[in-house]
Amino acid sequence: MKRRRFFKAMAAAPLAPSLVAQQTAAPSNAPAPTSPAPPPIDATQPPAPLNRAPSAMTAPVRIETAVADEVANMAPRYFTPAQFSALRKLSETIMPPMNGAPGALEAGAPEFLDFLISESPPDRQQLYKVGLDQLNTQAKKRFSKMFADLDSTQTATLLVPLREAWAFDPPTDPLARFLREAKKDVRTATINSREYASAASSGGRRGAGGIGLYWYRLD
Amino acid sequence: MASKEYDVLIIGSGASGGMAAYTLAKKGVKCLLLDAGPQVDFQRNRGTKPVYELPYRGFGKPGRLPHVFQANEFNANQWVDESQVPYTHDPKQPYNWVRVRMIGGKSNFWARMSFRLSDYEFKAKDHDGFGENWPISHADLSPFYDRVEPIFRVSGRKEGLAQLPDGIFVEDKSPDSQASKRIAEAGKPYGMTVTKIRRALGDGSLASSFNLLLPDAVASGNVTVVPNAVVREISVDNKTGLVNGAHFVDRQSGRELHAKARSVVLGASCLESTRILLNSKMANSSGVLGHYLHDQFYMSNSVVALIPEAQNGKSSRGLVGGAGYIPRFRNIKTKEKNFIRGYAFDFSTGGTPDARYFPSWGEELQKDLDNARGAGFGATLMGEVLPRFENHVRIDKNVVDTWGIPVLNFQCKYTDNEFNMAKDAVETLGEICRAAKFEVLHRTDRMFPPGYSIHELGTCRMGDNPRTSVLNKWNQSHDIKNLYVVDGSSFVTGGSQNPTMTILALSMRASEHLAEQLKQREI
Repeated sequence: MKRRRFFKAMAAAPLAPSLVAQQTAAPSNAPAPTSPAPPPIDATQPPAPLNRAPSAMTAPVRIETAVADEVANMAPRYFTPAQFSALRKLSETIMPPMNGAPGALEAGAPEFLDFLISESPPDRQQLYKVGLDQLNTQAKKRFSKMFADLDSTQTATLLVPLREAWAFDPPTDPLARFLREAKKDVRTATINSREYASAASSGGRRGAGGIGLYWYRLD
Repeated sequence: MASKEYDVLIIGSGASGGMAAYTLAKKGVKCLLLDAGPQVDFQRNRGTKPVYELPYRGFGKPGRLPHVFQANEFNANQWVDESQVPYTHDPKQPYNWVRVRMIGGKSNFWARMSFRLSDYEFKAKDHDGFGENWPISHADLSPFYDRVEPIFRVSGRKEGLAQLPDGIFVEDKSPDSQASKRIAEAGKPYGMTVTKIRRALGDGSLASSFNLLLPDAVASGNVTVVPNAVVREISVDNKTGLVNGAHFVDRQSGRELHAKARSVVLGASCLESTRILLNSKMANSSGVLGHYLHDQFYMSNSVVALIPEAQNGKSSRGLVGGAGYIPRFRNIKTKEKNFIRGYAFDFSTGGTPDARYFPSWGEELQKDLDNARGAGFGATLMGEVLPRFENHVRIDKNVVDTWGIPVLNFQCKYTDNEFNMAKDAVETLGEICRAAKFEVLHRTDRMFPPGYSIHELGTCRMGDNPRTSVLNKWNQSHDIKNLYVVDGSSFVTGGSQNPTMTILALSMRASEHLAEQLKQREI
């Protein structure tokens, strides 16, 4: 509950203007306010008495809710178990916990990327699947282990393509191209997570979990 | 049924259409203004959100806006939905057509960079023999720039440069940072100058047709604004050959309507105005309607560097900070070997370079980023694109939009003049950075597809010769005297400067001409 209350505070403080706006005029894609289902009509019975004072009936109803990520874990289902274990290892290598901030694993970055890639165009899906398979293939070939089981020195030898200077055109080698994309994606998925934002806030740091002006659907 | 005849039907409410409404309203001309999009309520339609509340953690829904590189998950709903209003191109020759449909148009979102064109652009052919001169010069447009700049409250510093004429500025008195001075000093041998950026301040939060032009226009009682009116084609009086209104579709219901007017002003944006004219099959006796499409090629982060003295937490105000502008310096006093015209940069100092520029990961990468915090230099390259007949749009008869209106097909690519210019630009700025003792992290001369700058221009160009141009020097159709086109499509050349101030000045000038023509009963 302590964690949940903290997230609520996080969400409430920067969001005050938009919440006010939603009260006056709900955006079209906002969920409709919940209201009690009407009782079945039975003409033989007199109307049931109101169980609330009339004045309370006219006040806007606001039910306290939680977000899904507070009550449940993401359930990845796109990558194979071998691919997903490689993605977890790669994620924690690129973005380990640092300076009190959660790393990629604590931020659920691999699980989020499993979802994101499952929704992505085929070429991006292929880039990830081939890249993760290659990490496992090379780990087995060079160290006789799965990528997830390598130590940090062994892992670093397979990430050598990331030592190349960044260029506008992506590398032609599929693994190098995948690692470049994964470095960006893992960092973004971590820094933009709820977990990272809450840690940054409680640590008095700024710059994570950016607040932005969101455009609702126009009509 | 209210079928009223207006003096002027204006199509589009962005910078050009908004300025037409503003100008004509002040002259007492009765106008109807149609815009294809809705009126937005900036309080209701926007709200602050933390990125972690977005469904895709800021990545955005994959594949939703493939041509809009500016789109992100926060702003995705502000752009035109490509599935509703598609366009076509050869997959090997992509074009990024970035559109906004709402009252105020793209002026609600522009970067507010506010520059004048100079006679290096208006009379470009005189300098290098390529293409055509404009039928007007800076002296013709200067009085209108003088009136537009105060409306938009353009901040800047008078620099006295022939290639970047000074304007009526809110004076920018802020001191240049040491980093900016070092770039200026290192650039002197190249004939390069560093200026303050020139930016429309507007009312602070917004510098748009929506808040600076349309309120006065409507308050005059002379302008009626109708949102959600998607123009299908302009109508013609068969007896006179003059335009007499427009057929449009109500965006939300799909109902077909027709509005009557004594004259028509197109300000729907370069390519939407061109599309309307092509679909209306008019104003094209020259055969150049839709041709000479050009823009500026933009390369964000073309050069990325670190300022050594600002690293390791030593970044401070005075040492770094603020933005600067490097106006065109090529082919001014010198003549380059493998390209004509020139390019400009805008740059900022004091930021932190993106993680991709560091060849590291994990804790090592974090250390690299911490060391570089506030010590960055980044420059966006903006290069002139030559207007070529071959680069054009035409109607694709096989594809229609949601309202059954035929869409545009793009035939557009950059050529060696642009590629050579880009190569020179990043090599030169890289050398200048090194001379300024900056550590260059990255530079690239690769450019995004045409259209990325959102500065499309030239497809209804003006000129004195009706056989080689669509409009005369008053933005008036050579073929149909009561038809004006007042947006960026009227440009003959675009230079490397952002075009909005020129669009506004042209629209004001053209609208005053139209008002006079109406008064004199010439129309």
